[in-house]
Amino acid sequence: MMLSRIAESLFWLARYIERAEYTARILDVNFHTVLEQSKDKYRLHWDPLIVMAGEEERFRALYGEADARAVFEFLAFRQDNPSSIVQCITKARENARTIRDYISREMWEDINSFYFTVNRFNPDEEMAAGPHRFCDSIRFGSHRFHGVTDATLPHDEGWEFLRIGWFIERAEMTARLVDVQYHILYDAPAEIGGGDNHQWMAVLKSVGAYEAYHRKYHSSIEPEKVAEMLIMHPLHPRSIRFSMTEVQAGLRAISGTGAGSYANEAERLTGKVLERLRYDRITEIFQLGLHSYLNDMLQMCGAIGEDIARNYFYYAVVA
Amino acid sequence: MPLQRLFGDYQLGSFYDEMFSAPDVPRPHYAKIFEKLGAMMPSQFEERRQHADLSFLLQGITFTVYSDGRGTERLFPFDLIPRIIPNSEWQRIDRGLAQRVVALNLFLQDVYGKQRIFADRQIPRSLVYSCKHFLREVIGIEVPRGIHTHICGIDLVRDSKTGEFCVLEDNVRTPSGISYVLENRLVMMRTFPDAFQEYEVLPVNHYPAELARILRSLSPRGGNDAQIALLTPGIYNSAYFEHSFLAQQMGIELVEGRDLIVDGGIVYMKTIHGLKRVDVIYRRVDDEFLDSLTFRPDSVLGVPGLMGAYRAGNVALANAVGNGVADDKAIYAYVPTFIRYYLGEDPILRSVDTYLCSKKEDLAYVLDHLPELVVKAVGESGGYGMLMGPTADRDRIDDFEQRIKADPRNYIAQHVLPLSRVPSYDPAHGMIAGRHVDLRPYCLYDGEKVTIVPGGLTRVALQEGSLVVNSSQGGGSKDTWVLFGEE
Repeated sequence: MMLSRIAESLFWLARYIERAEYTARILDVNFHTVLEQSKDKYRLHWDPLIVMAGEEERFRALYGEADARAVFEFLAFRQDNPSSIVQCITKARENARTIRDYISREMWEDINSFYFTVNRFNPDEEMAAGPHRFCDSIRFGSHRFHGVTDATLPHDEGWEFLRIGWFIERAEMTARLVDVQYHILYDAPAEIGGGDNHQWMAVLKSVGAYEAYHRKYHSSIEPEKVAEMLIMHPLHPRSIRFSMTEVQAGLRAISGTGAGSYANEAERLTGKVLERLRYDRITEIFQLGLHSYLNDMLQMCGAIGEDIARNYFYYAVVA
Repeated sequence: MPLQRLFGDYQLGSFYDEMFSAPDVPRPHYAKIFEKLGAMMPSQFEERRQHADLSFLLQGITFTVYSDGRGTERLFPFDLIPRIIPNSEWQRIDRGLAQRVVALNLFLQDVYGKQRIFADRQIPRSLVYSCKHFLREVIGIEVPRGIHTHICGIDLVRDSKTGEFCVLEDNVRTPSGISYVLENRLVMMRTFPDAFQEYEVLPVNHYPAELARILRSLSPRGGNDAQIALLTPGIYNSAYFEHSFLAQQMGIELVEGRDLIVDGGIVYMKTIHGLKRVDVIYRRVDDEFLDSLTFRPDSVLGVPGLMGAYRAGNVALANAVGNGVADDKAIYAYVPTFIRYYLGEDPILRSVDTYLCSKKEDLAYVLDHLPELVVKAVGESGGYGMLMGPTADRDRIDDFEQRIKADPRNYIAQHVLPLSRVPSYDPAHGMIAGRHVDLRPYCLYDGEKVTIVPGGLTRVALQEGSLVVNSSQGGGSKDTWVLFGEE
């Protein structure tokens, strides 16, 4: 038996942690890729990050041009950017605080110290030093929280809501990452960045899939293969397919539904997304248009999230 | 000798010092800890102190201060030097508190029931009915097993003149602080494990289990699978840490008003698999916010219809509704009367002499002696609405004089109590100095016996010379040790 409010807080707790980690990964890798590039390509490399975060308008209003320092400050520290890493960790902790009787004492102490660590960073010092140290501590903090959760929280319904939150956020972030990078790199003429393998290498590294790519494809970096890997790889933990498989497992564990059927709209849509991810070929996806394919996927993820809320979080009492 | 280093030039002052009977002469039950502290370098002590602070911070044992508009989380300062009470002294406190709790419960049963006490002319009906927290809505409600005062926090102080513990005030609504008692002990055991090896200290950690047992016994459906919930106002309440802590320790649900709904006179929780009935609510929301249909209509913290379910006997509430009449500061003066009237016993613990401004002769005395007295508004708590005569300036005294004359019923007065002192660490000077303390033991009543965890919360006024121990005004706390024996 679990209170709806607790389920909702667990779901968002996980999403915020995942968002913070993903943002940190992309920020860190991009920064180091740019270090090896010529200056005129800067704009190209930093713009996608802002677009991905869905905060282009806010960013332009605050900074105008995107450069390393501005993007770092905006994505990592700004209080007025609701998706900044510091804000994500703050909101994750706030959610944890409302359910601290439910989560394990270890989880609470862990996220609480994560929060204090993140807030102890001095933005000016970090911006002078570059994002690596900061991003590393976010990545490590997120991993540690996963570990503590896995090892101390009973794997019951609450744990399933965390799992769903973690993986739906991850699926969406990966979809956005691939979409934005393709939009900007693949469609662009060669002289301003088309066919730039360094940027694709950065994408792979940011999701920790660089080594796995080489093991699987034994070839140089090709954009279609990178997309295939990030969208459809059955076992890589950051691929969309893997993430949605986890979401499905979580939803089924909560409702008790078996394979081949569904108990609610969220389960139906998850099943539909997975059918496509399992049986489409990357060449078919490219023929259809990658952007519209990923856009569909993002919309379905949004609909899944809404239906989870309708089924489990909000309460309409029928008189 | 480095022995005196932490104690520096410790001054006993003109107060009862709980550690020393004379300069450098510790009382027997403090001798071992005095020796241990005296042998410590200030830097070693400081290191342990920081370790303890960090541990509170990481666990989020903080309260929120809203003075800067953003809401800052602050630590409730913890002083590492324990307060020690020998067993024989505790036994007397324990008996005195139990007697008081039973009498308060009988008083509440009576004023919301047959009202024999008015017929027998022990207390004026007008005094009771004019209490801010007396609720006519509660008259005639039969509470489960006749218990009103499930949880009481009774504030004791040691009078420096006699060295005797006496009762300063009763808290029988939603007293807080027990989580600090339990957490202070945990941190103390981690920080000073060596000190515990030399003393036999009575444990305190059975509190949550005992409270859970009592709550379970109240279930209107009986049986052992009662659904119990702790109702909290939410994370912005200053005691939120305690609410979540107790819910977790007892393995019960922590709920907010929006998690509950009343349908057909039954209280339910909203869960991911539908509505689940709730039998017992340990509520940490004040009476007036409990039910917007009965009390304040603007409250969003409670549950509309809750009082209906309570009146119908479909849900038990702890503490009972309407208890505030028993800890009103004017009613306080009558508690010795209750003990004699309901129990036929003499009070074991002394109360502080109290002037009721509603009485003509008391009022005259109070107005003549304001600069010597403490004046308190009767319905307030937490140190609000108070005049400290000896330290107040002329304007403030004049102000209170007007207020008292305008509404005498709302004020009581007492002589300033010279609270006892316990050596405490002053981080600003890196030294130990005497600081004033009180003691709040927590009493649990199951209708038959009163269980009190040995000790309770020792609050300490960490500012030099201050007599105010409230956390909102610079107070801290100490671990309180009741010994298995005498030293």
